[in-house]
Amino acid sequence: MLSLVLRGFLQRKLRVLLTGIAIALGVALMAGTYILTDTINKSFAGIFNVANRGHDVVITPTQSLGRNTRSQTSPVTDRILAQVRATPGVAEAAGSIFTPGAFLDVHGKRLTVGGAPAFIGSEVPTRFESFTVAHGRFAANASEVAIDEATANRNNLKLGGQMVVAGSAPAKPYTIVGILRFGGGQSFGGAGAAILTLPEAQRVLALPGHFDQIDVAARSGIAANVLRERIRAVLPSTVDVRTGAQQAAKDTSDLESNLGFIRTFLLVFAYVALVVGAFIIFNTFSITVAQRTREFGLLRTLGASRRQVMQSVLYEGLLLGVGGSVLGLLGGLVLAPALNALFKAFGADLPHNGTVVQTRTIVVSLLVGTVVTLLAGLPPALRATRVPPIAAMREGVGIPPRRLPSRRRLIGRFLAVLVLFIALSVIVGGKVLLPVLLVIWAWRLIRLIARVRRGDRPPHYRLVPALARVIGVLVSWRGITGRLARENSIRQPGRTLITAAALTVGIALVAFVSVLADGTKATINQAVSRSFAGDLIIENSQAGNREQGIPALLAPSVRQVPGVASVTPIAFTVGRLRGSSSNARVTAIDPATFERVYRVEWKQGSNATLLALGNEGVVVTKGYAESKHLKVGQRISVLTPTEEHVPLTVRGIASDNARLLGNLTITLALARASFGQGEDALDFVSYAPGASNAEVQPAVNRLLAAAFPQARSRTAAQFKQDQANQINTLLALIYVLLALSVIVSLFGIVNTLILSIYERTRELGMMRAIGTSRRQIRQMIRYESVITALIGGVFGLVIGVVGAVLVTSLALSGSGYVQSIPVGTLAILIVVAAVAGLLAAQLPARRAARLDMLQALASE
Amino acid sequence: MSTGGNENGSQSIVEAEDLRRRYGEGEAAVEALAGVTVSFPAGRYAAIMGPSGSGKSTLMHILAGLDRPTSGVVRIGGVDLTRLDDRELTQLRRDRVGFIFQTFNLLPVLNGEENILLPLSIAGRKPDREWFDRLVDTVGIRDRLTHRPAELSGGQQQRVAVARALITRPSVVFADEPSGNLDSKASGDVLELLRHAVDDFGQTVVMVTHDAHAASFADRLLVLADGRIVHDGDAVTSEQALDLMKSVG
Repeated sequence: MLSLVLRGFLQRKLRVLLTGIAIALGVALMAGTYILTDTINKSFAGIFNVANRGHDVVITPTQSLGRNTRSQTSPVTDRILAQVRATPGVAEAAGSIFTPGAFLDVHGKRLTVGGAPAFIGSEVPTRFESFTVAHGRFAANASEVAIDEATANRNNLKLGGQMVVAGSAPAKPYTIVGILRFGGGQSFGGAGAAILTLPEAQRVLALPGHFDQIDVAARSGIAANVLRERIRAVLPSTVDVRTGAQQAAKDTSDLESNLGFIRTFLLVFAYVALVVGAFIIFNTFSITVAQRTREFGLLRTLGASRRQVMQSVLYEGLLLGVGGSVLGLLGGLVLAPALNALFKAFGADLPHNGTVVQTRTIVVSLLVGTVVTLLAGLPPALRATRVPPIAAMREGVGIPPRRLPSRRRLIGRFLAVLVLFIALSVIVGGKVLLPVLLVIWAWRLIRLIARVRRGDRPPHYRLVPALARVIGVLVSWRGITGRLARENSIRQPGRTLITAAALTVGIALVAFVSVLADGTKATINQAVSRSFAGDLIIENSQAGNREQGIPALLAPSVRQVPGVASVTPIAFTVGRLRGSSSNARVTAIDPATFERVYRVEWKQGSNATLLALGNEGVVVTKGYAESKHLKVGQRISVLTPTEEHVPLTVRGIASDNARLLGNLTITLALARASFGQGEDALDFVSYAPGASNAEVQPAVNRLLAAAFPQARSRTAAQFKQDQANQINTLLALIYVLLALSVIVSLFGIVNTLILSIYERTRELGMMRAIGTSRRQIRQMIRYESVITALIGGVFGLVIGVVGAVLVTSLALSGSGYVQSIPVGTLAILIVVAAVAGLLAAQLPARRAARLDMLQALASE
Repeated sequence: MSTGGNENGSQSIVEAEDLRRRYGEGEAAVEALAGVTVSFPAGRYAAIMGPSGSGKSTLMHILAGLDRPTSGVVRIGGVDLTRLDDRELTQLRRDRVGFIFQTFNLLPVLNGEENILLPLSIAGRKPDREWFDRLVDTVGIRDRLTHRPAELSGGQQQRVAVARALITRPSVVFADEPSGNLDSKASGDVLELLRHAVDDFGQTVVMVTHDAHAASFADRLLVLADGRIVHDGDAVTSEQALDLMKSVG
């Protein structure tokens, strides 16, 4: 049997290749995702190992609220350092700074690219230093800086040149005295580091007497973990004490968790591509099984069992699956750097040194690709077993329909499959897998119900032919070729449906996402228009990066600008309600000025509530109040990033469609005092009566450029545009990744066309004989392809739009979500579907036109 | 192109000179046609017979511009087919040649009328309604025009095919075993139709067959064996045709 399969494979090279590619593309994205994320993780692990080299013990702030929630006022202080130094066994201990900030050239242009972080650091004693001097030296005074080599090279910075470092203090220029190389020559991704003297770094970050970290070296003969125990015993719980190795491991695992979303994000698209690939394999196998009815009949006549017939089809699936997966794995090696370039193009520059191919990557890719192929090939294989031996003798013997099992067996089978699906998704642990499997299961259920209702009659399609007739109008004016294309496209409606369905998946997702994005933009626009009553918004110019705020000093400075009536700073932090396992978003406001620039929609309370908040009042958003059962007057306790338990009383409940207010809203004073909140996120500026934007905004901008170059000012319109741009960027990334699924579905169209052309060889031969030109044949195939693609496109559009509208109205009802349908984008999408159809038709059309007429007429 | 029944056939519609057709290379080469010179006058009905492998189908394919000879010249209406490229050949088949196939070869997605008009549709020409009506009545399928091929009997399908071959008023109709897939009644009807087309419309017909009864409808009988013409004579009866075949078979 196997040799028969192999021989058949070689005879159908093109089809095997096309089908193999359909599965390979999905596997390639999957493998590429694993390779890329593993490589990034390994690169970071390398960086952290270098960073913690020579450190026996490391002291950092405790983060009980989870990673990324470090208090901006570090609890690691001079006092802690003194305690550490006094601990027996400590040879050397030094505090250091390494915090995200901004550095720019003297013209105000950022020296880091995209969203890559810029770190402001302090020099540490040699044994703790991760940087080595490539040229020059470390900074010796408050006006000198040493900068990492990659940033220097990228911006053509030379020793003796000038650059600006911006932290919490007003920015100032420094002379570059050193070019540094990170230990081991590790790439930092797009990130940069500017190293100042320790006092200067503390001044720039407004943290005098505070450190981000204390590094400790043990006296010889004292083990790191022994020293760690000793230090731990004398320090408060606001700081963590780890050995260097522990710290490197923690840094690495924190980072892997932080980057985990990238993997999940990309894997979603890989699975989508695989689902589309499965459609194609199913369709191709179904068509070939139908075409090989005679062959299977012959095998049965020659004594092959049903099982052997099924095996012969499944072997083909197995070979295809393994071949496609291997091809995909190799493709993954190529795709990984391409994905990295893609992220880089969208502003996420992550370090990646070398290529990490883990055994897991190979196993998962091969397994998933092969299993998907086999599963997709199973129904056609089962169908092949029903070919009666008589099919070998007579022309036109169809495959009899499957007998319906008894109701009890059906119910049992469906439950078994459901359990299997759930078990599978629990084992694999994918949140994505279960819904996909459930959808497949539901689809099978619908199909089965249809079959039961239909009885023994063949399926009757209404939608596809009707749609093809409507779409066919587009081409039938082109005469007989258009007319024939339309008729041919609905000859086998089931086949057309599945071919189109592959494209539907991609188009539906694009439509879904574009409707969602358009609604989100409309929602933001409306929310900003309704809620924001000010004239300017000041924010960090690396927009969308929550880690990057603006200095608290900025607000008082802007107040001095002529024409500015008031400036109200807003800060974001987190806290955790006692008894809750997740963090609450906390917004801190200045009650005295907030109401002038922002309209709060009160459910309970009023603007007077804000004024009376004080240090123990909190306003809760409506949704959060509902989920945590909070009522006005209720007392709650909140754990802050500085490890304090702050008692608060709920004073009001508000709904906020602009989502500026977090779950909890407190005063800025409380955030500064108890949440370690040093920076602000936004400043809302309102102008004095009669002041014009044309005068005030340039004045504000001049101030920002001089003292706070990391910040920028936006009018409400500009702010809305920024938000829209951010959404568009994400949207573009999603489109690029979904394009892969659309490409996969193109292979499906190509495959179906080639197989259909093969079936219609005689017809094509006759048409050529009676005077149809090659051009007309090509045209006919192209039109057929376009009709199929448009059927898929229209289905996709309808499913995507209806799905998006349904989901948003169910999930986001009452949240102020504004529905908006991006008509232009959807129109373009339909054009894309048509063009995709044209592209897919190229090869089949050429093959059909080149058909050898005599052979075509002779073939039986 | 009806020439109004030129009984003498002084004007040759299809001419072939020293046609040779070789398939394959070297030792394995097969000579399907080994020097055939023949001409078919207008308004005549010729039957080509011969045993399997005699080259009769090859001859017809080359005469109709479906295949190219290895050497020799073919002319239809004075045009040398061997000098035409694919586009010109297509045009020629479209305008001047009609085809009738053993397996009917109707398009299953079109109904009877659409199938008959297909050659005109391909050419982008308006049908001559009068001629269409006359053909439909001649072949007797008026009540089947809106049916698709799957709803027609074999005989009805072949009658649609005959009408399709005649709709463009071609210079010549090539029929490849037109009765091969039909029962004797339907077969007789179709052969009568072809006879009728020659007699009443002055159509030139060249038919390939191995059925002696079919050949008896023709004006002229050619017999091929081993790629050569071994007999070229006037109409014969079925019995005579059978004897002829036996002598070469």
